[in-house]
Amino acid sequence: MDWDAIPWMLILPVIIIQLLLVIVAVIDLVRVKHTNGPKWMWAIIIIFINIIGPIIYFIVGRRNE
Amino acid sequence: MNSFFILFRKEWRENVRNFKILWIPLVFILFGISEPLTYYYLPQILNAVGNMPSDMAFQLPEYKPEQIIMSTIGQYQLIGLLIVAFGFAGIIARERKNGTAIMLYVRPISYFGYVFSKAAIMSILIIGSACIGLLVNVYYTYILYGAVDGVAFIGFLGTYSIWLLFAISVVICASAAFSTGVASVISLIVLIVVQLVDSLLGTYWTISPWKLPMYAGQILSGNLDKTPFFWSLSVTLVLVVLLLMGAVYLAKRNVAKAKI
Repeated sequence: MDWDAIPWMLILPVIIIQLLLVIVAVIDLVRVKHTNGPKWMWAIIIIFINIIGPIIYFIVGRRNE
Repeated sequence: MNSFFILFRKEWRENVRNFKILWIPLVFILFGISEPLTYYYLPQILNAVGNMPSDMAFQLPEYKPEQIIMSTIGQYQLIGLLIVAFGFAGIIARERKNGTAIMLYVRPISYFGYVFSKAAIMSILIIGSACIGLLVNVYYTYILYGAVDGVAFIGFLGTYSIWLLFAISVVICASAAFSTGVASVISLIVLIVVQLVDSLLGTYWTISPWKLPMYAGQILSGNLDKTPFFWSLSVTLVLVVLLLMGAVYLAKRNVAKAKI
């Protein structure tokens, strides 16, 4: 696919928001004491699963007690 | 009223510290953007990943802006409600368990202020995020597909906010009544399973809170059936008040369950 044909002005916000989510999730993972399940697993999920990785971490991984 | 503002400040600080103030709007905006984009670039996406023969023609329907926005609402109805149910199920129950409740209950706070500070922070987070997400969504839909009627969109936004308010009060009432785990399961059942049942069997009745998102869509596309809509709206508002009053009562009754 042609590199210039990609509408960067439209795609860029998606990439930025994804990056922001990953950064926020990683900061939270570092600061929080305990998660549901091992921390390294959540680190992998946050970084390598696109879009829904950080969301899954925030919904399931954070211990809410 | 004074204790409401103090408790509200406490809730606000808590949600700033656990980043909810940041990631919930981001998630709603992300889905608001990605929905029109994926629909618009579906042929290119299929071309790039699908290994299709190059002369194959796609017969995709022409989408209207309203359909794109309604499909975003479909996403919000699943992922948004999952966030509401899982992210906030502990909003009262958690405090009973981790000891915050004891610090609060020994003081002469009003339980109205206590429950309503929680309702207020949840409304700001959830309804605010959904509104921002939908505004971004409308902007993208406008660029890619065309404009929607502005007045109809405001009506749509208001109706959907009332539905979210209903979802919020369900979660608060469940959280006041049960422990975190039970509360999240109950709110999931009430919000998502009943919604599925309502959409499967719902042709037999027209008045129900779970139909509000559908009516919101009808407002947007301009063919609203007014009488059942207003009845659903009033029923939902009454239910919201009842659920919040129930939450006040249950929070007061469950004081004894607080861990010391």
